[in-house]
Amino acid sequence: MSHFLDRLKFFDKVKDTFADGHGIVTHEDRNWEDAYRNRWRHDKVVRSTHGVNCTGGCSWKIFVKNGLVSFEMQQTDYPRTREDLPNHEPRGCQRGASFSWYLYSPHRIKHPMIRGRLLELYRAERKAGKDPVEAWAAIQADPAKRDKYVKVRGLGGFVRTHWEEINEIIAAANIHTIRKWGPDRIYGFSPIPAMSMISYAAGSRYLSLIGGACGSFYDWYCDLPAASPQTWGEQTDVPEAADWYNSTYLIITGANLPMTRTPDAHFATEVRYKGTKIVSMAPDYAEYVKFADLWMPVRQGTDAAAFLAMGHVALKEFHLQRQDPYFQEYARKYTDLPMQVILRPFKGTEGDGFVPDRNLRAADFDGGLGESNNPEWKTVVFDARSGAFVAPNGSVGFRWGEEGKWNLLPKNAATQDEIEAELSCIDRRDGIVPVGFPHFQPGEPGLLFRNVPVRRLKLASGEEVLVASVFDLQVAQYGIDRGLGGGNVAASYDDASVAYTPAWAAKVTGVKAADIERTGREFADNAAKTRGKSMVIMGAAINHWYHNDMAYRSIMNLLHMCGCVGQTGGGWAHYVGQEKLRPQAGWAPIAFALDWQRPPRHQNSTSFWYFHTDQWRYETIDADALMQPAAKGKYKGYRLADYNVVATRLGWLPSAPHFNRNPLEIVAEAEEAGAHDEAGVAQYMVEQLKSGKLDVAFADPDAEENWPRNLFVWRANLIGTSAKGHEYFLKHLLGAQNGVLQEGGDGAGTKEVKWRDEAPAGKLDLMVDINFRLNSTGAYSDIILPTATWYEKNDLNTTDMHPFIHPLSEAVTPGWESKSDWQIFKSIAKKFSELADKHLGVRKDVVALPMQHDSPFELAQPLGQVRDWKKGECEPVPGKTLPLLKVVERDYGNTYRKFIALGPLMTKIGNNVKGLDWNTEQEYEELKKCNYTVKLPGVSYGMPSLEEDISVCDAVMRLAPETNGEVAHKSWSALSRKTGIDHHHLYAGRHEDKITFRDIQAQPRKIITAPTWSGIESETVSYTAGYTNIHEHIPFRTLTGRAHFYQDHEWFLDFGEGFCAYRPPVDLKAHELVPAKVRAKPHLTLSWITPHSKWGIHSSYQDNLRMLQLFRGGPYVWVSEDDAQAIGLKDNDWVEAINANGATMARAVVSQRVPRGMALMYHAQEKNVNVPGSPSTGKRGGILNSVTRIVVKPTNMVGGYAQLAYGFNYYGTVGCQRDEVVVLHKVEDRDIDWLERPLTDEREQQRNPVGIGVK
Amino acid sequence: MNLQDFLMNVVFGVYPYVALTVFIVGSWIRYDNEQYTWKTDSSLLLSKRYMLLASNLFHIGILSIFLGHFAGLVLPHGFWIALGVSDMAHQWLAIVAGSVFGTMCLVGGTILWLRRVFNPRVRAASRYMDNAILSLIMVTLVLGLSTIPVSIGHASHGDPTVMLTLSQYIQGILTLNPQPQLLAGVEPIFRAHMFLGMTIFLLFPFSRLVHVWTAPFNYLGRAYQIVRSKRRVRSA
Repeated sequence: MSHFLDRLKFFDKVKDTFADGHGIVTHEDRNWEDAYRNRWRHDKVVRSTHGVNCTGGCSWKIFVKNGLVSFEMQQTDYPRTREDLPNHEPRGCQRGASFSWYLYSPHRIKHPMIRGRLLELYRAERKAGKDPVEAWAAIQADPAKRDKYVKVRGLGGFVRTHWEEINEIIAAANIHTIRKWGPDRIYGFSPIPAMSMISYAAGSRYLSLIGGACGSFYDWYCDLPAASPQTWGEQTDVPEAADWYNSTYLIITGANLPMTRTPDAHFATEVRYKGTKIVSMAPDYAEYVKFADLWMPVRQGTDAAAFLAMGHVALKEFHLQRQDPYFQEYARKYTDLPMQVILRPFKGTEGDGFVPDRNLRAADFDGGLGESNNPEWKTVVFDARSGAFVAPNGSVGFRWGEEGKWNLLPKNAATQDEIEAELSCIDRRDGIVPVGFPHFQPGEPGLLFRNVPVRRLKLASGEEVLVASVFDLQVAQYGIDRGLGGGNVAASYDDASVAYTPAWAAKVTGVKAADIERTGREFADNAAKTRGKSMVIMGAAINHWYHNDMAYRSIMNLLHMCGCVGQTGGGWAHYVGQEKLRPQAGWAPIAFALDWQRPPRHQNSTSFWYFHTDQWRYETIDADALMQPAAKGKYKGYRLADYNVVATRLGWLPSAPHFNRNPLEIVAEAEEAGAHDEAGVAQYMVEQLKSGKLDVAFADPDAEENWPRNLFVWRANLIGTSAKGHEYFLKHLLGAQNGVLQEGGDGAGTKEVKWRDEAPAGKLDLMVDINFRLNSTGAYSDIILPTATWYEKNDLNTTDMHPFIHPLSEAVTPGWESKSDWQIFKSIAKKFSELADKHLGVRKDVVALPMQHDSPFELAQPLGQVRDWKKGECEPVPGKTLPLLKVVERDYGNTYRKFIALGPLMTKIGNNVKGLDWNTEQEYEELKKCNYTVKLPGVSYGMPSLEEDISVCDAVMRLAPETNGEVAHKSWSALSRKTGIDHHHLYAGRHEDKITFRDIQAQPRKIITAPTWSGIESETVSYTAGYTNIHEHIPFRTLTGRAHFYQDHEWFLDFGEGFCAYRPPVDLKAHELVPAKVRAKPHLTLSWITPHSKWGIHSSYQDNLRMLQLFRGGPYVWVSEDDAQAIGLKDNDWVEAINANGATMARAVVSQRVPRGMALMYHAQEKNVNVPGSPSTGKRGGILNSVTRIVVKPTNMVGGYAQLAYGFNYYGTVGCQRDEVVVLHKVEDRDIDWLERPLTDEREQQRNPVGIGVK
Repeated sequence: MNLQDFLMNVVFGVYPYVALTVFIVGSWIRYDNEQYTWKTDSSLLLSKRYMLLASNLFHIGILSIFLGHFAGLVLPHGFWIALGVSDMAHQWLAIVAGSVFGTMCLVGGTILWLRRVFNPRVRAASRYMDNAILSLIMVTLVLGLSTIPVSIGHASHGDPTVMLTLSQYIQGILTLNPQPQLLAGVEPIFRAHMFLGMTIFLLFPFSRLVHVWTAPFNYLGRAYQIVRSKRRVRSA
């Protein structure tokens, strides 16, 4: 029947009535209901996840209908956890559930796009008969042509082209750059491999094959807690979320669990039902505060003071007033507290006495305490049993050059007799001396002398010295009165005049002293009763400060005093991004092309951007002011940038480019000069360096030969999110419209870095962005390539928060012209090879490799003493006082053939991770069958194929101990040889397991225990950091092999960070320089706090329609009610946050949630949705990082020294931005300018704010 | 038959039936097959500015005009005579009511039209037919208003012939007795107005005007609760 005719059945319509005729029953057609049923009907369900640097790592069901993704839903088929533990599912939040919107949204990049002006130039050159490389060279050679497209970066003007042409342009640019400037002028930035490992590997493999440099991200994001490598020699290892449930006392600080760990937060709420106490520390009423039994509203940036005071209480009550047996045993075995430190006499205006110097070593004794291998690298304790100094097992000296004694068993290494390391000599001391401890609280003395018990000792050199244990020094550092007399110690917690008492900390942090004291006591008491089940969950909010390592060390100190680290339910739980790349060992050879050539080029991004975006030119921090009064100060007068140059030339930190000349030409010249091999090339370079003919590139970063030239950004939003000092990126790196509101010049006066009056603008020749959505990075690029979304490609994903490995799956084929990242780079490699065959051929390259952590080169520079060859203090020796100089042959024409095959070095050299080597022949043969072999004739014929994404996934999993039990067996066997302890029981039950891509598509699979990590997968304990260090006696990868309270490197001592001290936020002074117009108005001066967002994961999701509808539909910043009232600001008014670095626009959220003095803007709100122009800069209103600038820290540059040695994303400068202060003022609605005018010549020329750069 | 007669036949003899057929059959087909398109397509969500005023003026105006046309042209002549309404009174009533409601409709419709064309949000959401049908209504309305001075001319001379002729013509169409030749004598402006009016009927099923069919008056009298039984009425 017809709907229409049905309407005409007036008399037949009512079949029945009820409720006295108020209700009727009808027999109407109900087919319309099918519309609602069809909304949820689908053709298939595919498992995938979101590669978005979210620690959730959630498994999702992707529903496909008619070839399109219609929606997604949480997967609930995780393997169950053990009986006494809640399950992991359901996992997934509102953000992930909104992802499918992107696939068919207006943000989607559908075709290869290029800046129209660049394409016109290129086509004109090609039409004139030039070959692609010559065409590119011609554009670069003409400043007018180059300017034409560089100047309009960020101003739109993209046109569509096709893959063939775009690959040709990219390949031509790369080849031209390699030929003219050197391969190390090509840079790749892509973060967080764990979020989509194969996509990451695609670009890094291509770059590694051609000699480009891959930039780090963990340190650049300032998520790397530098304190972790310093303390444990471990980049970061953290407990899975389920381990919170094993804790019985939780302090949470700077990690907003319900908001940023959404799928895991339930573990924290559930454990409260078992009686676990939760103490939250946050300056604002953050979501996680709601779960707390106690909220300590700590003033932003002062967390270290609170934790040091808690440490003061724990140390005093549990180590001194009574000696808790568990704590004492833990301290003796697993920390450096019993290690002996030499005291250096000091006389100064602050007083006379001693200061702590380096650790005592076996080499200081006659006969080296029986150690002939690396005695300078073996630290010493006093054995209470034998009454003598001994070198115990486990220090880094035992790790290299010998086997079987690198373990934490309490033994005298020379005799293997059981020892009991003495913590304090207070009862058997030779004397008491005043020791000076650096102190940084303004208004208090800079060096606090406290009495310390010491022993007298005559060294092998004949020198007589005083030594003290780290324990005795540490107790003094905490200002605890032990009855030894002297000043600066407190007998009472109420003594606010002595640093680190609860009363003193109350002054600094604003938290009640009684709360600090009680929490310190309860935390320790709980740990004593439970053998370490006290935990601190912490995160970005306290790690993004300049002195973040001090904040973290203050927490680690407390944890180590209380024996928490390495115990399930205890220890630190640091959560930032999706750091845990579980099958790392299987992935690295593919990602960095180690299967074809070694070593790859790696670069710590913070230093890279600091120099290449010229943020160093604006440096307001004076390095001398950061030093402590008793510093040796060899580099006094150096600026921060100078320190980085020193670190580079001493082989501590890498640099890209390496030198001020093309490395291909350096080798060619060396060979011309008679070098035959690597040693000869190195010798030639050493001479050139000595004579000054060759220099490190960072010594003159503004010279055109030292600029980075090509930049690839993929899986990232560099410009719109992580570019701290965003406006400097725009100004100097890109040469685009920018909002830098100062001239620069504060950074002048450098001693090692050449100052040029004219700062370059527009260093990059080409920026390529690969993405599926158009964000700020794409907007500033020259080329945008369309990539597959997370529902359109096959890839791997792991996280810190749970032990499962997840796939990303191709639920639908990539939309429009997009391709997976692997296929994109494969196609670029193909075009590159065709062109390179003619233009480059086979060349030799030299890679300057810093002394790597977890390699024998971490023993390069003994005793923590800095010896600088440039100052004539030693000879430049590669691998010793200079970076290693490694010659790598690059067969450019075969780049593609190498890209698509697993190369021969996997069988010739094998694989390794963290200093453990093993053979991979068996896996290599298996992969030939599993993946089939390459059929293309040439260098890679017959090798295991890496042509398809799934093949790459399977290769990674076959090679990794986490996903292949046989590899676990091989890697654990290697470690067992080093430690002399049998670790095989850790994985024995899963020796036969092999996890494949199809397995994880079927169901999430739990990984296998591997020596890559310090936790274990087990049926009895949850994964937790440091577990194997404590329970398997595997040393921490540090100097002493133990967890470090003390750092004895010269630079650490100079900067006053030998022991953890409270250091207040630094004054960056940028807020002092704002336009008079703003200063004349009512305004606020606020600290700029940028925590992670509720409606986005970094910049993803926050620009999608579904999330925008949940809040203000554009950028917003929280301001306290009282502050707002003071300047007449109402909720939802437009405000401008401004300082010398630039300005950003947002809507004000006036709320009681935040305290006075703070502007809180959720991280990664970028400028692509509803962002008006800034009235002060005249440019688009900026992103959260428009008002920030990075500052580097010299102690983070130290290298060549045990745990303080470089590793990619392991150690190096960090991109901190949280000490920044802004001026905030109201902008009237009538003054809002959306800048929606056509591009005029005038506007194009006005790249800086009006009045800037005209002098 | 000369060309003019032929055209008159086509336009006023055949076209009305084409328009009415398309109007009724088209509406039926659309109602049966495109239930999800059967809606007002209101743009109130996109912009509320002027909407209350313009929409009310327009709708009250146009509905009144429609009723006026129905009453004056479709109801039989005898009905009015029986009520005691003389032809002249009838005509003056039509002129006054037409002017008042026509002006309301004109003001409201003009605002709606301007809004549709110049408000960026509404414009972006407008389909071709939305613009076309509103424009067509407005042109027809203007033509209709333009007949008023002519009618006043007739009325002031006490001559209701044209009105009666038009009524006779319409009733001829509705009684399947088309008499296009009746219109030969009336002023061209009336013919133009009628032609466009019929075109509105022709386009009606293809436009948002279908919402006219389902103005929700039944809400005023329906039961509080309606239970639709699970019995399948027809196989899907």
